[in-house]
Amino acid sequence: MERGCGGKPFLLAQKKRFSPTNTMSNTLTKGQLIARGVLSQNPIFKLALSMCPAVGMSTTVMNGLMLGIAVFFVQVFSSMTISLIKNFIHPRIRIPTYTLTIATWVTVIDLVLAAYLPAAYAEMGIFIKLIVAFAIITMRLETFACKESPSDSFFDAVGMGLGFMFGMVVIGFVRELLGAGTILAGTPIAIEVPIHPFLFFILPCAGFFVVGIMMAFFNWIEAKYNEGKTSNE
Amino acid sequence: MKQGAMKDIFMIVIKLTVTCLVAGIIMGAAFLLTHDAKEHNEQVRDEKVMLSILGYDKANPAPKTLALNTIYRYIVTRGETQSIGYVLSTETGTQFVELDLEGNFLKAYPISQEIDKLRKESDRTGAVQALISDGEVRYADNFIIAVNDGKRIAYILDGKYPGFKASIRVKMALDKNLSMLGFEVLEHEEDPGLGAEIKQKWFRGQFEGKSFEQLKTADVVKTPIPDDYRNAITGKIKGEEAQNIRAKHVGDPIHALTGATISSRSVLNGNKAMVTKFAYRIDKLDKALQQQGIKTPF
Amino acid sequence: MNNNLRNYLSIAFAFFLFVGIVAGFQCCSSDTGGFIKAKEFGGENEIVLTTSQPVQDNIAPESFTVFEENDPDILMHPSKIEKGVDQKNNPTLTLSFADPLNQSNTHVVKAPELVPGTGPINLEVARSYLAFLVSIFIANLLINNYVFTKYLGLCVFMGTSKRKKTATGMGIVFTIVMLVSAVMSWLVNTYILQPFHLDFLQVVVFIGLVSLTVQAVDTILRKVNPILFNSFGVFLVLVIANCIIIAVPLYMANNHYNLIETIMLALGAGGGFLLALYLMSNVRERLELAPIPESFRGLPIAFVMAGQFALAFLGFSGLQIL
Repeated sequence: MERGCGGKPFLLAQKKRFSPTNTMSNTLTKGQLIARGVLSQNPIFKLALSMCPAVGMSTTVMNGLMLGIAVFFVQVFSSMTISLIKNFIHPRIRIPTYTLTIATWVTVIDLVLAAYLPAAYAEMGIFIKLIVAFAIITMRLETFACKESPSDSFFDAVGMGLGFMFGMVVIGFVRELLGAGTILAGTPIAIEVPIHPFLFFILPCAGFFVVGIMMAFFNWIEAKYNEGKTSNE
Repeated sequence: MKQGAMKDIFMIVIKLTVTCLVAGIIMGAAFLLTHDAKEHNEQVRDEKVMLSILGYDKANPAPKTLALNTIYRYIVTRGETQSIGYVLSTETGTQFVELDLEGNFLKAYPISQEIDKLRKESDRTGAVQALISDGEVRYADNFIIAVNDGKRIAYILDGKYPGFKASIRVKMALDKNLSMLGFEVLEHEEDPGLGAEIKQKWFRGQFEGKSFEQLKTADVVKTPIPDDYRNAITGKIKGEEAQNIRAKHVGDPIHALTGATISSRSVLNGNKAMVTKFAYRIDKLDKALQQQGIKTPF
Repeated sequence: MNNNLRNYLSIAFAFFLFVGIVAGFQCCSSDTGGFIKAKEFGGENEIVLTTSQPVQDNIAPESFTVFEENDPDILMHPSKIEKGVDQKNNPTLTLSFADPLNQSNTHVVKAPELVPGTGPINLEVARSYLAFLVSIFIANLLINNYVFTKYLGLCVFMGTSKRKKTATGMGIVFTIVMLVSAVMSWLVNTYILQPFHLDFLQVVVFIGLVSLTVQAVDTILRKVNPILFNSFGVFLVLVIANCIIIAVPLYMANNHYNLIETIMLALGAGGGFLLALYLMSNVRERLELAPIPESFRGLPIAFVMAGQFALAFLGFSGLQIL
C-alpha cells in the first residue's frame, strides 16, 4: 500500500488488529458466521466498536431494539451492496465508496422510519443519522464484504447485526429493569417488577458504568471458561 | 507509468461518478416514495395526540360528529401600528378576521381557498399577505376548537416555553370553561431520569381538572405526591374511587419531580402563561365575531 | 513539536479573539443610544433599564407597557418600579412583574417621556447576542459535553486517551477539522440544501464534506509543515470514524444556526472533546500503575472511569450564563 492514499494504511492496520481471525472466515459455515457475530466477536462486548449507541440509546429495551433493527438493516444492505460491486470498486477509492454506500442506506432507512414509524423515529433522534459513523459497519465492509461472496457477506452481516442488537437489548434490559423497574415498557407485554427503581441507572452516566461492568463480566466468564478448558486437559 | 496513472485517475473519476449517480437515484427514489406517507402519517399522529389529550382512545373512540376547527393567528404590522388577524373558517367560507390590539373588530377579508388547503405555512402566509397590501404579516401560532354536534367542547393549544435546559414544546387541551383537560409534552431536552420525567403521567395528571383560577394561583411544592393521588392518576385505583380522590386533590399545589424542581416550575409557569393569554384572546375574538354577526361552525 | 503546538494554540486563540470582537461589535452596534443606555433582563421577572440621567421619583407602573414580540395584544404592566444605581453609578430603573417573563422571547417596552426632552421610550429587550454565543460555546463544552453527556465519539475517545501526548494531539487536530468542516457544512446547508429542499441529503453531504476536509488538511499539512504532519498526521484518519464530527453539522442544521453560532458550536464541541480526552488520559496514565482486577483491565475500567466523569459533568447541567 503506497503512502499516497492518505493515512489509510494506518486505518486498515487499526481495523485488522481488532479482528485478527477474520481473514480465515470463508471456511466458516453460515451458522458459524452468524454465531461468530453474536458471540465470539460481538461488536459491543468483544470488538468494543460502536460504543456510542451502546451507552446513549440503551435506557430501555425498546430503544435498544429499535436502533439495533435499524443498524441491522443498514449493515445487511451495505454488506450486500459492497459484496456485489466489489470487482467494480477501484482499490484507491475504497473508503469513499464504503462511506457513500453506508450513507445512502442510512438515508433510505432514515426516510422510511420517519415516514412509517414517526414515534420510534422521534425517540431515536440524531442517533439514526449517526449510524453512518458507526465503526462496526465500515469495519465489516473493509474486512469481509469486499473479499467474500454475497451470500457469505449476507450471513456475516446478519450475524453482526444480530450481535449488535443482542448487545443493545442486554444493556437496555439491565438499565430498564434497575432504573425504572419495568421490562419492555410501552409495549403490550410490559412487565412491572416489584423493585424500587434506582434512578441512577437511567441517568446519562450510568450507561458507562453498565457497559464497563458488563464488559468485565464477559471477560471474567471467558477467563473462567478458558481456565476450565486448560485444567481439563 | 505516467500513462497508467492517467488511466487510473480516469477510471477513478468514472467509477466514483457512477457510484454517486446510483446512490443519488436510490436516495431520490426513497424520498419520493416516502414523502407523501410521511406527511400523511405526521398528520395522523398529530390528530392522535389531540384526541388522546381530549380523553379519547381505542376503548372510548371519538364520536363521528367531532370536528376540529383550526384557527391561525397572524400579527399584522402597518408602520407603527400592529393588529392581530385570525384565519378561520366561517359558514360563508374561509376568512381572515382582523382585530386591533384592544380586541375591536377592524375588517374581515374572504380567502378563496378552503382552510384544509392552507395547512402548509408558506401557502397560508402567502394567501394572507396577498390580502394585506399595506403591511407585513407574520405567523404567530394556532389553536384548535373542538366541536361536537355543534357545541364547543374543548380548545387545543400549541405552546413552547423555556425549560431547565432548552425549550419544551407542548400540546394542551382546555374544556370550554378553560379548565385543564391535560397536556402532552412533544419535545424537550431535559436530563433523562430527572427533568425528562415531566413526560410522566403522574406529573402531568396533576394539572388535569384544574380550573383557570386554580391554575393561576397554583405553586410548586417539593413534598412528594400522596400515594393515593398518584395511584388515582396512573390508573392503579380505578372508577369512582379514583375520581373522588382526584376531586379531593385537584386544588393542591403541583408536587415537583424529585431532583427537578426547576423543570417542574418551568412547566407550571409555561402552562399558566399559555392559558392566561389564550383566555384573553378567545374572549376578545368571540365578542368580535358575535358583534359582527360572523357565523362560524364553532 | 512544542513550538509548533504553541504556534497552533496562538493561532487558535487569535481566531477566537477575532470572533469575540466581531460578535461584541455586532452586539454593541445595536445599542439604543440616547436616554436609555442599556436594557437587559434582571431576575426571572425583571427588566433593568440603565438611563443616562436620573428620572423623577413617582413613575406610575401603569405608564409602562410591556409585551412579547409575538403577543402585541397582551399587555403587561410592571407591578412595581424601583430606582437604583449600577456598579458604574449610572441610574437604573428595575421593572418587576408579577409573573416570570419568558426570557427566550423578545420583549417590547413602551413608556411615555420620562424626562422632558428625551422622547417616549420604545425599545426591544432580548437576551444579549454575545451572551447567547458564549452560552452556545459553554453549553457544548461543559453542559452538553459531547463525550460525557451525549455519549458520542466513544470509540476514538477510548482509543486515543491512553497517553496525554496522544490525547492532546488528537483533541487539537479534531477541533481544527471540526471547525473547517462545520463551516463548510454550514455553507452547503444554507446555500444549497435549504433553498432546494434537499434536507434528506444531509447525511451524505455532511459525511462527504468531513472526508474532504480530512483529505485536504492531510495534503496541505504534509506539504506545508512535514514536522507537524509527522506528529499529528496519524490522528487525521481517526477523525472520520468519530460520530461527533457528523453530529455537529446535523445539530447545526436542526437549530438553524448562523455562521458565527456554527463556529461557536464547533469550537465548543471540539474543545469539549479535547477537555474530555485530556482529563481521561491523565486518569488512564495513573490507572496503569494501579492494581486492578484482571477482568477489569483495559476498556472496562476505562468505561467505569468515564462514568464517574459523566456523573461529575452532570453537575454542570442547568448552568446559566445569561
